[in-house]
Amino acid sequence: CSEYQKALKSVDSGTKYTVGEKLYNAGKYAKANKLFEQILPVYRGKPQAEKLSYLNSKCYYEEEDWYLASYHFERFVDAYPNSEKVEEAAFLSAKSAYMLSPVFSKEQHETKEAIDKFQSFINLYPESEFIPEANKLVRELDFKLEKKAFGIAKQFNTIAGYTRDFNAPIKAIDNFIFDFPGTIYREEAYFIKFDSAYQLAINSVYSKKEQRLEDAKSYYYTLKRSYANSEYLEKADKMIEEIEKELENYSTKS
Amino acid sequence: QELQPAPTGKKYTLGDISVSGDTHFSPQTIITYSGLRKGEEILIPGDKISEAIRKLWTSNLFRDINMYLLKTEGDVAYLEIRLFDLPELKELKINGIKKSKKDDIITESNLQNGVKVTENLVTTTKNYLTNKYQKEGFYNTKVHINTIEVPDSTGRPGVNMVLNVDKGKKVKVSEINFEGNSALPDSKLRKAMKNTKQKNFLRIFKRSKFIETDYKEDLESVIDKLKENGFRDARVISDSISRIDKKNVAINIRVEEGEQYRFGDISFIGNTVYTDQQLRGILRINKGDIYNGVLLEKRIADETKPDALDITNQYQNNGYLFSTINPVEVNTEGNVIDMELRITEGKPVYFNSVTVVGNDVTNDRVIYRELHTRPGQLYSKANVVRTIRELSQLGYFDPEQIATNFNNPNPNEGTIDLEYGVVETGSSQVELQGGYGGGGFIGTLGLSFNNFSLKNIFNPEAYKPVPRGDGQKLALRLQASRFYQTYSFSFTEPWMGGKKPVQFSTSISHSAQFLYDPTTGNADRDKRFNISGITVGLAKRLTIPDDYFTLSQAVSFQHYNLKNYNTGLFTFGDGYSNNLAYTIGLSRNNTYNDPVFPTGGSNFSVTAKLSLPYSLFNGVDYDMLIEERDAWLEIQNDPNNSTIIRNQAANQVGAIDQERFKWLEFYKIKMKGDWYTRLFGKFIVKSGVEFGFLGAYNQARGVIPFERFFLGGDGLGSYSLDGREAVALRGYPNQSLQPIDGENNITNDGGTIYNKFSMELRYPISMSQTAKIYLLGFVEGGVSYNDFQDYNPFNLYRSSGAGVRIFMPAFGLLGIDFGYGFDALPGQTSPNGWETHFIIGQQF
Repeated sequence: CSEYQKALKSVDSGTKYTVGEKLYNAGKYAKANKLFEQILPVYRGKPQAEKLSYLNSKCYYEEEDWYLASYHFERFVDAYPNSEKVEEAAFLSAKSAYMLSPVFSKEQHETKEAIDKFQSFINLYPESEFIPEANKLVRELDFKLEKKAFGIAKQFNTIAGYTRDFNAPIKAIDNFIFDFPGTIYREEAYFIKFDSAYQLAINSVYSKKEQRLEDAKSYYYTLKRSYANSEYLEKADKMIEEIEKELENYSTKS
Repeated sequence: QELQPAPTGKKYTLGDISVSGDTHFSPQTIITYSGLRKGEEILIPGDKISEAIRKLWTSNLFRDINMYLLKTEGDVAYLEIRLFDLPELKELKINGIKKSKKDDIITESNLQNGVKVTENLVTTTKNYLTNKYQKEGFYNTKVHINTIEVPDSTGRPGVNMVLNVDKGKKVKVSEINFEGNSALPDSKLRKAMKNTKQKNFLRIFKRSKFIETDYKEDLESVIDKLKENGFRDARVISDSISRIDKKNVAINIRVEEGEQYRFGDISFIGNTVYTDQQLRGILRINKGDIYNGVLLEKRIADETKPDALDITNQYQNNGYLFSTINPVEVNTEGNVIDMELRITEGKPVYFNSVTVVGNDVTNDRVIYRELHTRPGQLYSKANVVRTIRELSQLGYFDPEQIATNFNNPNPNEGTIDLEYGVVETGSSQVELQGGYGGGGFIGTLGLSFNNFSLKNIFNPEAYKPVPRGDGQKLALRLQASRFYQTYSFSFTEPWMGGKKPVQFSTSISHSAQFLYDPTTGNADRDKRFNISGITVGLAKRLTIPDDYFTLSQAVSFQHYNLKNYNTGLFTFGDGYSNNLAYTIGLSRNNTYNDPVFPTGGSNFSVTAKLSLPYSLFNGVDYDMLIEERDAWLEIQNDPNNSTIIRNQAANQVGAIDQERFKWLEFYKIKMKGDWYTRLFGKFIVKSGVEFGFLGAYNQARGVIPFERFFLGGDGLGSYSLDGREAVALRGYPNQSLQPIDGENNITNDGGTIYNKFSMELRYPISMSQTAKIYLLGFVEGGVSYNDFQDYNPFNLYRSSGAGVRIFMPAFGLLGIDFGYGFDALPGQTSPNGWETHFIIGQQF
């Protein structure tokens, strides 16, 4: 019968605590946590509870149970705002939330929650040793939201041939650039906007065609001005040639 | 020891904190809970002190909490927390209520032993019980609660509680009398009172009760009723409730009708998008009509029906989200009311951003491609409704929980944000079963995933428990016993390439069947019949004539291989047959909302399955072949010939048939239509028509014995060798309705022509996400033939019956039907009578 088994059956909370701590230090987090959970109610409201609930949260963290880790660290921060571990707990709570953030193409509720947690951590402990990592993770999360918004806008362009709605990608790209002005996708976004406007103009009825061709042309120049060496220019140049040719029809007739 | 009030806002270091008063919690626990700790710096008075007191209060464990500054030594402060525990409930006695109801009351009002008794608890319990019984019609209910303090042995404060409930007699309304009404009779006004009813033994569903709040509402309805009839000044002057006896009360209502008004001129102001005439057509109220405020309101904006034909919807469905319509009475001379409808149209509104939230499993692109409301589009309520419908049809989300949230309305710019909220639901099914049948154990494993993600199949992190979210379908099915094995696999991608809804699907199947070996009692692996098949298909949603149409195409190949295996299907025991066919189908489906229980729309399809016309170019003279075959057949069937000669002839027939069936040559045409209509209330009628025909290009080569239609029973595709199609017809045994040929002989190889008509009345019992249940009653009829010469589409086998369907996400659709067949089976004379059908995963 191992020490752990004995402690598990023991009625003495103190034994459980010491054995649990020993297991924790040895890296046996699952076993340690089992003991901690048994004695948490006993110590609730007592001074030992502070360390115990920190260890408990940390075990969840080490076991990669991110949801519980995030929750328990957050509770720890609320319950012991004066603890010396509170800074670390706040960071780990945010980091656990970060771990819960799903792939960019799904619901980003967790991502936003993690960003909020990091933000309040950064505001509270601007001098913390964890700040560089926090900043890095927040950037990663922000980029997820950016990638999501861009993916959606881009899809409106991809399916525009089917939906016959070329305005949707233009509007969606505008919204995207407005929301993420510093995006790394700006170049591609400009091209998608031009491409959508080009298709809208080419497929247009006569009465609206000229204006739409002009609009598309202006988007082309936005792309060219901002990204003179853009990889999209080769394609875009061919499209603008066609637009110019179409526009000639209007100038010769008038 | 002197207690002194704390001086204002001075900084101290906390010394000892002591706890006094009457509490069974240890001082240590209370101090820790308060958040104060020895040695920390605090302001007195200050935030931390009040925060500590607040924290202790929120525990709901104390009835009195005070904090004192005991003394200060330099800048060290000594505090005292004095608090008293709340008494706990020890014993509860309930009088005046049946024993069986007591437990309910204890849980509902939270009166378990040990609960802390506060004033609040006593009051809410009293109110709760009074309300509860008044709602049940015990108008005279009285509730008294007594509490008796009893400290327990350890000195903890405790309380015994006595609940006295006097329900009194159930009170009914025996009379409702009106006074002052001349235009409308009492009966009409009584009818307007929806909840308070006069006693009447004929009324079964709504019992007469007197409930104060409902009664107040009903008084409003009486006034509304009068207003609807032009008495727009009507009011209740007085109302009284008089007691007739202990059980009965009478209600007397005195109303003043006032004058009756009529509509005068109705003019429109501010309308630029629609003409007066168009708006008048929607309003449908003319000069001289009796004034009806309620109707007027409904024609302007009907709150009860979201898709009603009213002026507001006319604007709302065409982008004018911020339009307002304001009816103003401009002149009321001589009881004639002239109206002005003042319309503010506002700017047409365009969607700014359109987002989806709640998709924890499904990827964005799978959802956004289904949206009919996109950024930059003109706002239209109808498009929002359509999007909701199509999202629910995907089957990934709970149809009842799809929400739309409109955010950031901006009337100046004419923009609004739209957010769809979805809730993911289980869309995978697992089937695992074992059973004993056909002379041995049969094991089945079936897996079907409706929202699969093929690209994540090698990504271990995506297994939760299977990779999901790309909207693909994957199904696997294995079935094995000693005598046969079947394996099948299918995969569907609804948007191949991601640009257009081009559905790619493929399926592969293989089955092997072994003959029974009488010497060993086991399967004889040397005598086998294998069928392998592969199908690849493309289906495309069309935009013309409308975008409910789907065009599908598929190429399928099946290979039959026999070894020492004689079946009724082939005249040869060793050989093979190939079935290569091209299928083209056109279908239109606009049923809504829930695919399990459509409440409207129709589903129509036409398909043609064709093989190549081999006989045109393979150079075989089938006319001669069939003559030769007939000749050999004659020899084979002549009992005067010797066995050797007859066997030889049989082999010759087999050889000719092998030539005929090397490549199956046929064409098959099917048509099917279902219509769903709401009859009344929740009743839905589904009416359906089906027709199918199997033909041959070369009459000499003949219609193949494969691919035929088998009518009768539950229509479930049972295990079969010959690509037959089971057509459901309840009230008859499975596949029992074989055609009768020209000479009144019953055939046994299925029909080549069939048609079927059916009507089903459905009623939903539960449409919750965990289990959708509906009842159905049906009448149907169908018939099959082998030849157009015999064909009579109305000489039907008829049946009728009833059943129930249960849909649970984990199991799919299950059901049972009881059907009565009115006609006799082929070859019999009396009606077939009752049949029971079990339905698994298929819709009639």
